[in-house]
Amino acid sequence: MARKIDLVIEICGSAGEGTISAGEILSRFMSSQGFEIMSFDTYPSEIRGFGKCVAHSRISNQKIFSPGKNADVLVALNDVHSISQLPFLKETGILIFDNKPLRYHEEDKSIAGWVEPGIISYGIPLHELAQRAAGSSRGRNMVALGAIASLFGINAKAFEESIIKRYSKKSRIVIDSNVNSFIEGYKWAKENITKINGISFESPGIKPSRKKREIINGNEAVARAAIDSGIHLFAGYPITPATKIMEILSKELPGRGGVVIQTEDEISAIGNVIGAGFAGKRAMTATSGPGFSLMTELGNLAIMAEVPAVIVNSQRGGPSTGLPTKTEQSDLNIAVKGGSGDSYRIVLAPTTVEECYECTCLALYLAEKYQTLVVLLLDFFLSNSIRNIDSPKKPAIKLLDANKAPGNRDLKSYKRYKITGTGISPRAIPGTPGGMFVSTGLEHSEEGLPRYDSETHEKMTEKRYMKIQKALKEIPKPKRSGCKKNIKVGVLAWGSTAGSAREAVAEAEKCGIRAAFMSPLSLSPLPVDEITEFANECEILLVPELNSSGQFADLIAPYVYKKIEKLNMVTGLPMPSEDILSKIKEIAE
Amino acid sequence: MPKKDHYVIIGNGPAGNKAADVLRENDRNARITILSDEHFSFYYRHKLCDFMSGVIDEDTLKVKFYKEYKEKNIRLRLGQRVEKIDPDSKTLFLKHMEKLRYTKLILAVGSAPRVLPSLLRYKDYFTFMSNYNDAANVKSMLENIKNPIVIGGDLIGINFIKMLSRLKKKATFFMYYKSFWPFDLDIKKADAIRLSLEKNNIKTISGDPVKTISRRDADYIIETESGREIEGDALFSFMGRIPNIQFIKGSGIDTERGILVNEYLQANYKDIYACGDCAQIYNLELKDYWISIGWENSILQGEVAAYNLLGEHRIIKPMSKKIFNVEGIKVKTSWWNQLKT
Amino acid sequence: MKEEKLYFEKETEDFSGNIRAGKIIKEVRFSDNPRDIKYVSENIPCQKACPANTNIPGYIRCISENRFGRSFELNRMYNIFPGVLGRICSRPCEEKCRHGEGDLGKPVNICWLKRAGADLKSPWHRNKENLYASTGKTVAVIGAGPAGLSAAHELATHGHKVTIYEAMENPGGMLMYGIPEFRLPRTIVEQEIDNIVRLGIDIKQGVEIGIDIKLKELLKQYNAVIATTGCPSAFNMNIPGEELDGVFSGFDFVKNINSGSSPNIGNKVVVIGGGYTAIDCARLAIRLGAQTVSVNLRKTEEFMRIDEHEMAQAKNEKIRIYSLVQPVRIEGKSGSVKEIVFERTRLETDKSGKGRISVPIENSGFAVDADTVIIAIGQHPDAGFAGSGIKLDGQRINTKQGTYKTNIKGLYAAGDCVTGATNVISAIARGREVAQEIDELFVKGKRKKKVVRFEPSDTTDRKRSYDFIPQVKMPTLSLRDRMQNESNEVELGYDKEAAHKEAKRCYLCYYKYEIDTSSCIYCSACIDVAPRDCIKMINEVELNKDGTLGDYIETSDWQKIAAIAIDNKRCIRCGKCYEVCPMDCIHITKVELIEQNLEA
Repeated sequence: MARKIDLVIEICGSAGEGTISAGEILSRFMSSQGFEIMSFDTYPSEIRGFGKCVAHSRISNQKIFSPGKNADVLVALNDVHSISQLPFLKETGILIFDNKPLRYHEEDKSIAGWVEPGIISYGIPLHELAQRAAGSSRGRNMVALGAIASLFGINAKAFEESIIKRYSKKSRIVIDSNVNSFIEGYKWAKENITKINGISFESPGIKPSRKKREIINGNEAVARAAIDSGIHLFAGYPITPATKIMEILSKELPGRGGVVIQTEDEISAIGNVIGAGFAGKRAMTATSGPGFSLMTELGNLAIMAEVPAVIVNSQRGGPSTGLPTKTEQSDLNIAVKGGSGDSYRIVLAPTTVEECYECTCLALYLAEKYQTLVVLLLDFFLSNSIRNIDSPKKPAIKLLDANKAPGNRDLKSYKRYKITGTGISPRAIPGTPGGMFVSTGLEHSEEGLPRYDSETHEKMTEKRYMKIQKALKEIPKPKRSGCKKNIKVGVLAWGSTAGSAREAVAEAEKCGIRAAFMSPLSLSPLPVDEITEFANECEILLVPELNSSGQFADLIAPYVYKKIEKLNMVTGLPMPSEDILSKIKEIAE
Repeated sequence: MPKKDHYVIIGNGPAGNKAADVLRENDRNARITILSDEHFSFYYRHKLCDFMSGVIDEDTLKVKFYKEYKEKNIRLRLGQRVEKIDPDSKTLFLKHMEKLRYTKLILAVGSAPRVLPSLLRYKDYFTFMSNYNDAANVKSMLENIKNPIVIGGDLIGINFIKMLSRLKKKATFFMYYKSFWPFDLDIKKADAIRLSLEKNNIKTISGDPVKTISRRDADYIIETESGREIEGDALFSFMGRIPNIQFIKGSGIDTERGILVNEYLQANYKDIYACGDCAQIYNLELKDYWISIGWENSILQGEVAAYNLLGEHRIIKPMSKKIFNVEGIKVKTSWWNQLKT
Repeated sequence: MKEEKLYFEKETEDFSGNIRAGKIIKEVRFSDNPRDIKYVSENIPCQKACPANTNIPGYIRCISENRFGRSFELNRMYNIFPGVLGRICSRPCEEKCRHGEGDLGKPVNICWLKRAGADLKSPWHRNKENLYASTGKTVAVIGAGPAGLSAAHELATHGHKVTIYEAMENPGGMLMYGIPEFRLPRTIVEQEIDNIVRLGIDIKQGVEIGIDIKLKELLKQYNAVIATTGCPSAFNMNIPGEELDGVFSGFDFVKNINSGSSPNIGNKVVVIGGGYTAIDCARLAIRLGAQTVSVNLRKTEEFMRIDEHEMAQAKNEKIRIYSLVQPVRIEGKSGSVKEIVFERTRLETDKSGKGRISVPIENSGFAVDADTVIIAIGQHPDAGFAGSGIKLDGQRINTKQGTYKTNIKGLYAAGDCVTGATNVISAIARGREVAQEIDELFVKGKRKKKVVRFEPSDTTDRKRSYDFIPQVKMPTLSLRDRMQNESNEVELGYDKEAAHKEAKRCYLCYYKYEIDTSSCIYCSACIDVAPRDCIKMINEVELNKDGTLGDYIETSDWQKIAAIAIDNKRCIRCGKCYEVCPMDCIHITKVELIEQNLEA
């Protein structure tokens, strides 16, 4: 009989203790072993100092959609920080802590003192073992991983190899000290701890799929998709949590004939992207809230001048510089509506890492075909969360070359902004014989010459609106799951919250609540028909999202004709499916 | 503002729990903490054998559930060993490197398995059946054990070997009747026990003590003084129990075999009391020191210690006449009478 | 030894307490600044604990370098009995060894390493005696025990002519008569005494002062007389039955056996007392064939003045220890011991400040069968040699505060006869001191001085892995072989390999680690590798009233950090920080307390 294993492991420490990298190593290794994983990190915004870091990963042999709220296992690398993390450990959870720190803790400063009965605590001399293994306390994150491997029946040999691989580019000393620390922790736990939990990843019946899968996070998926979609230019200014995209592309792109420019600011970055788009090359930038705000004006230029441009906005807590290392979904308004005038653009919000890849390909395609600005809305969580996914399908040839180039007839008297039935005008790449045109941010005639009369403005606004609406049919329809009819509670979610919502709905159904789930990929143009239909089928409509005002709820409000139940959270953490579930239960009564 | 009292009780057994309950009933406001190095709630130790052999489940083993501690506002710290006591600064040093300060302390640390001095160097080879952890451990091993060896010098050991034989294990029993705990057996009694065990198909070796123990792969090889060689795949030791006070030595609290307390169960520091299996008391009637072992005793002593800590002057009296001499000190027992039947 | 520039810093500048820039020692320096002396006593705890201030890290390092002879000589500078003390020292140093602190493991077996130096050196080893020219002064020493021999040796090296008067047949005192041979082979004692006497010291054996020669004669004959008569008389219990046959005092029991007699002790032996002599008696009794031997304590084991090795050996030899008992009387039958009656005791705190004492419990008597009772509750001095003119403190000889002078002109006294029973190493130390006091008087000035020597070092001499070596056990004789011949030595001593291994465990606390703040970049790489809280981010350093530096005041606030500093009291000299520092700003200085010859 297949057995279920579903474990949330949290590693908590202070910045600089290797907390996040330990979590990442664990997640990547477990997914390489075929387990489903979903990880999430919280860390302080300051680079220097001793702030709290938490690496959270959920590991399962079942399909999972959310990172899980409470941990089954908490590994405390730092007592003070971990004490504040203890409430998130389940009542019957397991605590792994350092029982031999360098000095005595004062009363209640040791996490072990806070453990409620029922929680199993395993004390491991992390410092001492790291010292013994490598002569440095640095390796105590690896000691902890070794202990985890021993306590939860994880293949230590394979784990060890993955650590070697991970540090393969580092010096011998770095590799050895990490590996030795790992082994020391593993051995120590094996010899000294009498296991009193029954959890083991090696139990018979736990068969993870051995299929070769990709271990990837949202940012990596975006970067990969950008390469696979043939971008020539990436321009950007570093900003958490989007920096990683630029980091990867700066390594990968130049070798493939592309260019990565780190510009002086975000305005310049979008300027570069529009320039490349104007020149006929695929280009992209990635930023977060504050940078996106700066880009809005030039984004409007792309819309007005009908130049392809793609902006990835990985959202973080705002406004302004806000919370650089926390997740939030509060840039929806500016992404969909930000800018002056009626600035219609396409906004896609992937809900999974797979969709991060697909949407990036789609965004570059749509931008090129519909000659406009496409915004991709990720968030901190989606950007950094590591998943185990099937290798993404490379974009179809159709998606790679989407420019509607002018035919010979068009070039006889070339009109760059010709009014057509689709709203898409033939786009000549500069240098095309006969394809000369004027491009401007001013309202313009079909030829591109500035014109301010009412008639032109009406016609052109209509044209820009229409082409965006036409794009809708090229974007996958909203996903649905749960009950098909007689729905008591319908949950409509977007972006990274969708996974939790989907899981919550599945759980609600198990509790006998008639619940259904839907999430749209496209926020602009909005799939109004599907949303209206779904809303009509539900007795109560619930919109959970990570912002305080209910930006998505307000966006769809005109189309649902009923009061929307909102579930808003600005904790900086992903929305737990447990919270959505209790909200469903509450409103279903 | 006067600081709240912090009563710390080391030990989550009958004495410690009784003391905590009495303290809470009589002092609503004080902080009360129970420390235990076990990971499991307060349980019936004498039921461990039944638990291990699967006769009863975990919940039946428990005397008290976690929520009962919460309800009484008693902080239960499990899996936390005290390593050192500093009575002058009233500080406990816990194994996991935390300092814990108390205003009054009750030591109800109970007892630990005894190992004969002659077998001390083989200590690591032995499996004990002393606490929940041991029992759970043995429970998980049990299936794979075929021919266990039990080195036995107490009545729990006899109980245990009978359980093994019921489970159809080919067991060998080394009976140490001369250093039986808590009383030496005479050869007549020893023979009677041997015959009764052999009737149950248990190979019993009496009067031929272990000389050396060695390992061969996963097996244990025992060579006896007379040169016999016995092989087994598990090795258990039952040699009675001694007060678990190693960590107290050197702290300034007087100890001998147990923690030395007066008739009020008070140690040589006025804020420290000891009760249960670890307290050694001079008894006027016996004209000697004695340590009481057993459940009822522990409860009684826990109660007395708690009341005295709160300012009363209750005197502890011996409960039963069954008194035996172990290593030069008197031990009073009450509970193995039930085991014999 | 390396030739070095010997000059003495006259100014009172100190070198030890500075974490400021520019104070890093670049060449060998000497200092007698109290701060530096204090630094040594705080940071080299073993040397401080040793009554003779032996340079312990120094001689242990020699062992790890295979220089056993040099190790032996380093010992001999302070203690002329390395082979003896390597066996029977009460090892106050080990109690203070940094390796035994808290969570660091067990102390280094310093004593056994001392023995390794003595045992493993070449048999043709060359002794070093830094001899001063002959002075023509004469000194008589009364008693050839450790204190007397130590004083005699020190005086002889200083050029004075020494004669020792010894009442017993052989020299050595307690070493010869008070310690059983299974703990201390006579050949070792004899050889080390020979090494002393070779300097031209006369020993007159079997001469008892006060009986054979009067003290007055000696005072007339010699420029000075030193009494080092020790504690030869045993305390009595003052209980009925002490006069019975089969009742011995512990000291007499051991002395008789050491003198070659073999008393008939029967099967059941009861020893009273909790010191080394009591345990020695019990172990001798077992060897003489007793079936049951018990050691009976008035208090509990915790209060015994005995180290755990000795205790473990005794228990291993099946000696039983009983606590909280006190003898009331010994019952006899036809003049011999039949049984001993004990009372139970309870512990109480003494009001006059003696700490925990035992108080008998009324009506708690019980009897124990016995064939022999050995009372080993201690010994006291006997100043009978001096007649009635000598001033005493109880039974101890009184000396003038801060000196070794008695009230009799020309008579000095040192060792156990002044202090009461202590231990051999203290007696040796006091012997040297009284000799130096007399020498100072003879030559009208000090010839040696304790100073602190600083030497920059570019090596740590250690590896972090050494810290995890467990204590190397002392191989011992099997129980059967012990019983075969009572004089068989029980502890067999380390071989070279074992000695190396144990020597590596020493932290070599005489190295001082410091961070030069002028080049530190606060990268905290050293803190990452710190084995304990030895490297601290500090805000300021406490200044004691006497001008010495106190504790570091730590901070975790980046804004307030004034320096990253190594706390040498916490440092275990693992060398890790030195290894990883990217700026090479960690400096190592060897700091030793030495005796310097003041002669220009």
